Amino acid sequence: MSRWSSLFGMNRRNVELVHARNPRRYYPLVDDKIVAKERLVAVGVPVPATLAVCEGLRDLPALLEGLADQESFVIKPSLGGGGHGILVVGERVEPGCWRKAGGEILDLEALHEHAANILFGAFSRGAMTDRILVEPRVTPGGVYAEMWGDGLSDLRVITLERQPVMAMVRVPTASSEGRANLHQGGLGLAVDLETGRVTRAVRNGRLISRHPDNGAQLEGICLPAWQETLDVARRAAGSVPLGYLGVDIVHDKDLGPLVLELNARPGLEIQNVHGRGLASFLEAL
Amino acid sequence: MRRDTLVRACIAALLVLPAMLAGAKMARFDSLAEDLLPRRQYDVAVQVGLDGHGEAARVRTFAPRSDWHQQVVSEESIGPLPFSTSDVGLNREAVWSGGQVPDGVQAEYRFSVLTSDVVYALPEGLPVPAAYPAALASDLAATEVVQVDSPEIAAALTLAGADSGDIASRLTAIHTFVEGLGSRPFKGTTDALTTLRLGEASCNGKSRLFVAMARAAGIPARLVGGVILESGHKRTSHQWVEAYVAGHWVPYCPTNGYAAELPSTYLALYRGDEALFRHTSDIDFDYAFDIHTQMVPSPNARQTMGPLNLWALFDRVGLPFALLRTLLMLPAGALVVVFFRNVVGLPTFGTFLPALIAAASGATGLAWGLVGLLIVTLGVVLVRALVQRFGLLHSPSLAILLTAVVGWLLLVSLFADAVGLASLAQVALFPIAVLAIAAERLYLAWVERGPRDALRDLAGTLVVILGCYVVMNSLALQLIVLGFPEVLLVIVAADLYLGRWTGIRVSEYLRFRPAMGVVA
Repeated sequence: MSRWSSLFGMNRRNVELVHARNPRRYYPLVDDKIVAKERLVAVGVPVPATLAVCEGLRDLPALLEGLADQESFVIKPSLGGGGHGILVVGERVEPGCWRKAGGEILDLEALHEHAANILFGAFSRGAMTDRILVEPRVTPGGVYAEMWGDGLSDLRVITLERQPVMAMVRVPTASSEGRANLHQGGLGLAVDLETGRVTRAVRNGRLISRHPDNGAQLEGICLPAWQETLDVARRAAGSVPLGYLGVDIVHDKDLGPLVLELNARPGLEIQNVHGRGLASFLEAL
Repeated sequence: MRRDTLVRACIAALLVLPAMLAGAKMARFDSLAEDLLPRRQYDVAVQVGLDGHGEAARVRTFAPRSDWHQQVVSEESIGPLPFSTSDVGLNREAVWSGGQVPDGVQAEYRFSVLTSDVVYALPEGLPVPAAYPAALASDLAATEVVQVDSPEIAAALTLAGADSGDIASRLTAIHTFVEGLGSRPFKGTTDALTTLRLGEASCNGKSRLFVAMARAAGIPARLVGGVILESGHKRTSHQWVEAYVAGHWVPYCPTNGYAAELPSTYLALYRGDEALFRHTSDIDFDYAFDIHTQMVPSPNARQTMGPLNLWALFDRVGLPFALLRTLLMLPAGALVVVFFRNVVGLPTFGTFLPALIAAASGATGLAWGLVGLLIVTLGVVLVRALVQRFGLLHSPSLAILLTAVVGWLLLVSLFADAVGLASLAQVALFPIAVLAIAAERLYLAWVERGPRDALRDLAGTLVVILGCYVVMNSLALQLIVLGFPEVLLVIVAADLYLGRWTGIRVSEYLRFRPAMGVVA
């Protein structure tokens, strides 16, 4: 098999994986974070706590009132994709006034506007209305916290019929503005499925050996509770009748691996991180 | 895989079915494909502008008649001046007249014609008749500018070898002689003798010399005035001649070398030594021809549609053929978009925005279409940035964008009209909602992914519009789709194929270089 024939481009991913294994009617089970979370909880997959769910404008005043006293929290559009509309709030400066993850000040009025925009579907892949999910901020633990304190790194596991196929850690950097987005300067760490060891680190398609902000050695890191994490990924993938999934997992300092969300159309950048095509991993199954 | 088998079977059916339909149509008409292919229609606007200084004013020109060479399918007049046509002799006079005509009046007489090439085979050995019916007397007579009786014309006739022989050979000799003279774009009228003496002239001088020599040789001949049909804006008219051969008026154009034939690009407006325009002497007058061409379905093709006769339908409900053509070409445009997105991997704003803009650009022309798109989109993005400051909710701000698109389109139209850019003024035909959403996406891309990404997507969109425009306005493809609308099934087959195509997009060969170990 030539290298290029092991590569999954968008066309091949859509035809052979998404369309072939993910029946459209089950998309809402993962696209709606609140629905997905209920299913994950039902099969015993660890997830972050739910601070509040806001169903509509009518509930908005109560939601804001409830949040005013919170030290920190994360606001998510239930139908949002690609991290759009997610607002990480905290620490609190004074009641009704916080510092955002990026350092900017957020007051109640701005929070109200953002929440209302979520409810109007501004971040919701074309849906006209949406719900709001409020969760506590996850405090990363273990190597996740030691290597990169700012922003939240997450583990992406690609599963095929519940079996983990590929895994990578996405690490935010100063230049990616706290987001773990590989297209915006975030780091991608290729993780060996057997051992949970980081085998290579890639930034903007180039191999690197150290974190650009704090100089931490990246290659060779062993991720904590690896077998438990893989097991969480398997169970999460089994919670929905979808064959091809991206499971996003964070590692909380106290709670261990928590599933943040499932993705029915996981991206292909993971191939650049690993330096190999997805097909070569599928063959190894 | 079962799905693949199904798709392959569908593709096969979609390829076989249209082939059978087309075959059946051609068999039914027992005719060649060319009878089913669309015809080229010319849409001509005769535009006049006059400063009447508040006085009575009158402008006379000629309207085309239908004959074996040209068929007038529609005509209309536009503008504030009363307009009428009437038969005067061989011609149809078209007259604008008004009592108190102010300055700066614009009026248009528009018509659409279907034309065909006509070639005559002249019989050999036909002698020049000794006498003609009295009605032809004026086509043999000398005039001030057609000096039939001049000894110089007689000498030229001898020189050309047209003083003896049958009609056909004499006309050929005259044609060859006049065609051989130099061409020069003289302004104004050149008479036959002047042309002969100078040895060069424009079309009207050469035509008069042809007429003078033919008449001197005993063959009735007359001038024909009209325009050469070519897309664009022009003031140039054209003159050629007709010679009377055994009851037929046979065309000759010594200027462009057509002997006993008339190409489909010639449109006759009048016969005789007339001026194309006459007007009241104390007005300032200007004119121009604005000519567009389009393919329209042939009468045979329309009949083959049976109960699905879309052309008859559009005719009945009063929708323009241009709309039907746009509709039929849209699937081709969509296929182009699919190709650019799924095979090339070029990012665009809005999936089918490029196809829709390309369709709308049919009216504005590609260049103005792109200019219009850029002006409107960037204008709306500015509004979007302003709206952001108010911190509005999503739906109301989209509604404002939609309004901004409407406003910008109308402003651009008004401006274009004011400065006389008639084609740009057509931007009002652009798909409004699609533009609003495109502007919103451009803005979000700019803010969320940065100007570089946003401009890259915008550039991608422009490239795909270009591709769609080239394909959708390709006359060859229009010819096929209008003549055989069943090709749409072939387009669907291509969509099906690309819909299951799992190959790597061109852009992905760049994107996945790291995965493939290719060092950037």
